[in-house]
Amino acid sequence: MGGTAIDLIVLGVSHKTAPVGVRERLAVVPEAMESVLGELAALPSVREAALLSTCNRVEIYVATDRDGDRAAQALGETLARRAGVTSLELGAHLYERRDAEAVLHLFRVACSLDSLVLGEPQILGQTKQAHETALRHGSAGAILNACFQGAFRVARRVRRETAIARNPVSVSSVAIELVRQVFGGFDRRQVLVVGAGKMSELAARTLRTHGANLTVTNRTRARADEMAARFGAAVSDWSELPAALGVADIVIASTGAQRPVLTLEMLRQVQRARRGRPLFLLDIAVPRDVEPEAGSLDGIYLADIDDLQKVAAEHRDERKNEAADAEAIVAQELDRFLKAWRGRQLAPTVTALRAHVLGLAQAEAARTISAMPGLGERERRAIADLAESLAKKLLHAPQMALRNDDAADGVSLVVAVQRLFALEVAAAAPVEVADDRTDVPAAPAAGDVPDKKAAGR
Amino acid sequence: MTALEIGVYALAAAIYLGYLLGRSMSGGAVAERARAVGVAHAVLAAGVGLHLCDIGARCIHGVNPISSTPEAMSLVAFLIAAGYFLASLRYRLAAAGAFAVPAALATLVLARVVPAEADAPHMGSLGQVHILLAVIGVAVFALAAVLALLYLFEDRQLKRKQFERMMGRGTPLETLDRLALTCVSVGFPVFTVAIVTGAIWVARLGLLRHTAALRPEYIFALATWVAFGVLLIARVGAGWRGRRAAWLTLGGFGGAMLVLLTYFLRHAA
Repeated sequence: MGGTAIDLIVLGVSHKTAPVGVRERLAVVPEAMESVLGELAALPSVREAALLSTCNRVEIYVATDRDGDRAAQALGETLARRAGVTSLELGAHLYERRDAEAVLHLFRVACSLDSLVLGEPQILGQTKQAHETALRHGSAGAILNACFQGAFRVARRVRRETAIARNPVSVSSVAIELVRQVFGGFDRRQVLVVGAGKMSELAARTLRTHGANLTVTNRTRARADEMAARFGAAVSDWSELPAALGVADIVIASTGAQRPVLTLEMLRQVQRARRGRPLFLLDIAVPRDVEPEAGSLDGIYLADIDDLQKVAAEHRDERKNEAADAEAIVAQELDRFLKAWRGRQLAPTVTALRAHVLGLAQAEAARTISAMPGLGERERRAIADLAESLAKKLLHAPQMALRNDDAADGVSLVVAVQRLFALEVAAAAPVEVADDRTDVPAAPAAGDVPDKKAAGR
Repeated sequence: MTALEIGVYALAAAIYLGYLLGRSMSGGAVAERARAVGVAHAVLAAGVGLHLCDIGARCIHGVNPISSTPEAMSLVAFLIAAGYFLASLRYRLAAAGAFAVPAALATLVLARVVPAEADAPHMGSLGQVHILLAVIGVAVFALAAVLALLYLFEDRQLKRKQFERMMGRGTPLETLDRLALTCVSVGFPVFTVAIVTGAIWVARLGLLRHTAALRPEYIFALATWVAFGVLLIARVGAGWRGRRAAWLTLGGFGGAMLVLLTYFLRHAA
């Protein structure tokens, strides 16, 4: 893996390495994105830059020239300055990945394998946003485009082929999913929120976004009014609780009462009036607000906080199991990506190597000839031919080795040759990884023409 | 041809049952489950296509699909399978396939193992109308019964708090309830006309005078009609829903099954 030179560096902090106090100092608001990207792209040895800033991570992805160390150092200093700490202090929280490991990191982040809640869906959108922003500000080029496109592709595959993001893992999303099993959705459903505490408010906020009609009832009317005003909900008087239960489809109960407020007897009467129309009771209070026996009444479904937490916990375990499959997909896709990348680098490298060696041979022949002015045309040609023939023979074996290189032993000959001969190869165009292709090198793009200046050096 | 469509229906039924009863969605099985539904729908579509060809081929050879009880049963099976297939294109009903396709399969198998009546009365147009409407009515009631069964199945899972098993694979209870009501609302008038035409037809044939005054199937048919009538009035008039409505739907459909069973027993004897 280490043998593939994608000159990519990722430097950042996440929930795993830094407390929120550090993360918030590094976070970049959307309005400041342009200036920060500009600043990053202007750093020495940095060619391209993208920035991913979420609640749980702040990461900078940069494509560099050969001097990755210089770029990494400059990035570290910039981050430290932004956070208002020393490089040393920030260093304790900072992680850095390079080349293929940086690509792997990006793939894992996009697949939500590095997230606080495994499989959470937002990170993919945030990663896409980061890429789009970099594109818009002109700080993303061939390398970042290839890496980000690769990451989106892997994330799509992981979501399609594993259950990592399938089932809800939070209590509120489990509750929503359960209600869907009965009603199909929340649109225009009557939701009665019993209690005006913090939990009720959280539930109300979630349900509001799903299009439910809310009614709030609370023992202290003023608090119900206050909460209803915040969510545009209706208010029902506490004394009219049975009537409110009669018209509701879903009840969220979360009062601070020590004894059940929705008793079996009350619900039995409500149930008779409903004639089988289903009523879903979500009891998220501790101590419970609904008498547990009410769940056995015809048409009344009851889930308490333990039921919801149990499902959420099962789903979390499930996601952990799915993560192994997701990691395997990521590894497979990374391998594919790197092979395609090497394929793109092969042709320009071979061309650059030939130009470099043949150029040297020609230059040396010319020097020898000019030092021997008495030579005739035939001799001069013989010397030039000798130099060229020698160069070609020397080139034959390395060229064959390059073409057959699969970097199976972890060392890419393409990279080795580039570094041994100081070849400057233009950055490849975005890597298109076809579904069925594993190791066929892509044809060189227009941008892959070798740098003549470098070749002649 | 018949053996082939029975085999194809059986395969589809097995996949639908596996979908409904299979363990939870862990173990990377999501894609497989989604694929299973796709495969089941495709297999069912093939079965419905084959069945249609079979019925068509029999028509060409002069065997009218409503000319005898077995042929009419085959048509019922076809209507159940095709009706379910069309509904599943519109609604998320994969779980209902576990009831609908086996029901169609059982009806078709039954239709093919029982010999046609040797002394089938000449039907005339009235008899044909009666049988055709009865076939459609029974098939629509069968679909209502399938939805009611799934309703009761899911209701039980919710009551037992088997939430984990339901996630992502069930059809919302309200959807099932609403679709079942639609089926009964469509099936009931059709079945009513079938009963009336049947009564007139029987009276014309003079069967009532020659044989026992009331054959059991007449009573069962009437009971079916009453059950669905009560259900419809209770649902539309009194707003009855849910579990009780589902049980009454099953009861009514049970009556329709008894009618068919009586026919079979008579012809098999």
